[in-house]
Amino acid sequence: MFHRKKIVWLLLLPGLAGLLAFYVVPFFGGIYFSLMDGTFANEFVGLANYKRVWQNPMFQLGLKNTWELSLLCAPVIWLLAFLLAGMLKTLRHRATPFRNILLLPYLMPSSAMLLIWTLMFDYGGVVNRMVTAMGFERVLWLEEDALRFPIVLLYIWKNVGFSVVLFASALSAVHPSLYEYASLEGAGWWTQSFRITLPQILPTAFLVFVLAWVNAFKIFKEAYFIGGDYPSTQIYTLQHFMNNKFAKLEYQDVTAAAYMFAVGVMVLFALMYMSKAVRSPSE
Amino acid sequence: MAKRRRIRHRLGRLSPGGVLALAILVALSVLILIPIVFTFLYSFFPKGEIEAYLKTRGSYDTTKWLDVLYAPAVFSLRQYYKIFIEDPTYLRLLCNSALYAGAILLGQALVIPLTAYALSRFTFRGRDTIFFCILILMILPFQVTMAPSVMMLRWLGLMDTVWAVILPMCFSPFYIFLLRQFMVSIPNELLEAGMVDGVGAVRGFVHVILPVCKPILGAAAALSFADCWNMVEQPLVYLANRQDLRPLSVMFNQISTEGADVAFAGSALYILPTLLIYLYFQEDIVAGIQLSELK
Repeated sequence: MFHRKKIVWLLLLPGLAGLLAFYVVPFFGGIYFSLMDGTFANEFVGLANYKRVWQNPMFQLGLKNTWELSLLCAPVIWLLAFLLAGMLKTLRHRATPFRNILLLPYLMPSSAMLLIWTLMFDYGGVVNRMVTAMGFERVLWLEEDALRFPIVLLYIWKNVGFSVVLFASALSAVHPSLYEYASLEGAGWWTQSFRITLPQILPTAFLVFVLAWVNAFKIFKEAYFIGGDYPSTQIYTLQHFMNNKFAKLEYQDVTAAAYMFAVGVMVLFALMYMSKAVRSPSE
Repeated sequence: MAKRRRIRHRLGRLSPGGVLALAILVALSVLILIPIVFTFLYSFFPKGEIEAYLKTRGSYDTTKWLDVLYAPAVFSLRQYYKIFIEDPTYLRLLCNSALYAGAILLGQALVIPLTAYALSRFTFRGRDTIFFCILILMILPFQVTMAPSVMMLRWLGLMDTVWAVILPMCFSPFYIFLLRQFMVSIPNELLEAGMVDGVGAVRGFVHVILPVCKPILGAAAALSFADCWNMVEQPLVYLANRQDLRPLSVMFNQISTEGADVAFAGSALYILPTLLIYLYFQEDIVAGIQLSELK
């Protein structure tokens, strides 16, 4: 560890300059920008931009869908990853190939999966065969209402491995004697998982949820591949709204939308953080 | 006989729950691999066959149990020939993707290890504040950081140039965080041993820190490559008026109309680099992801 060396600022310079230029300064500068009217006169209009965007039905739709899709994906990924990590643990040294296969889609570009995905979900596709085999009616997966399912599934296929790896490393740190004791007391697998494992790895579990949730805002990718610039109302996300506003050069609206979204995200973070603090006061 | 007993012995060590977990994981692994395997398989189908197959997809043929093509009647490499020699549309977009990935990785290699080093091995005023800001930037959704950075890029005159895509990615907060997490865990003795030999801060970085960081650098590079290879939002917004500069990831759903055979071959080609990188780096990547736990 080096103390108070002047050279540290030289080392930091490129990284800090870039972070300031492309992330921090624009973030604060954008606040000023969102309060102006954006015309040549550039007058101060207060919260008028925010009000206009807030009342835009497409913004409301995008925001609603983004929340719904992310709050659909994150818990599913979280739970699935937790259960899969538990399964990997019971396999011990045999788990490695399975873990690696689970993580593989995380590096795959989802755009290249688009073709095979639409093939699987079209009317005569494999998924409909399974659905009829189970005795249900066939579904038009790639039309309006059912469209969310293939998109969410593509997203989960791609991203669950990341959470599994995080969970698996935390699980390996849980002391085995806890399970021995629980087994003696007659606790089953389910009880052990949710009464012993989960409380033991709560910080990781929290982190996995936050990461899964933040990343789930990127579900725009999958929606864009299947639906394009103007998809059906079921999968029209906030990113679609912002992209289309960008195309019309309505920058004030875009920044206002971004900050309203940021406030929502921050509030939810704070709530989650507080509930975590409340639930584990001993830590 | 001995072999069979050994196999039974191995299975015997799994609990009933373990056998069930094994079965579920095997089934799931097959399901996960199916889309990748079939993309490669279909990339070898001749144009006529795959397009005839795609035409039937809208109807549901009740006479067949599972209407899936498993093997081409004629094994074809025509579509690969078309991509590489006849019609370079795909190839040009693929090159765009490769150039972006290369430029971004180079930029990150110049900036991120240094920043992580400064944040992990030095004590100075403001360090924790900077690290906290990086954490916040890391969890902010792209939708939030995108709009303001467009203002900046416009002001700098970089919109609709390749730099708009490359430069912000070079300072990706996640990779600074990842490398910092690894460097913090390097024991001080290692550096101190170097200090005795009169190694300064910079030479300590080059001769002590970087060699130790090799696995995490590999993991970060592989993850970052996959990020670049799959980026969609950035080129869509930053290159709104320059379709010719866009990478393949964005253009997929626009060019896949020109021929199913070429589209499948293009997909397979697009997957191949990430697949190879994953096979080579998988252990490092797993270790790297585990580092994103906050300690």
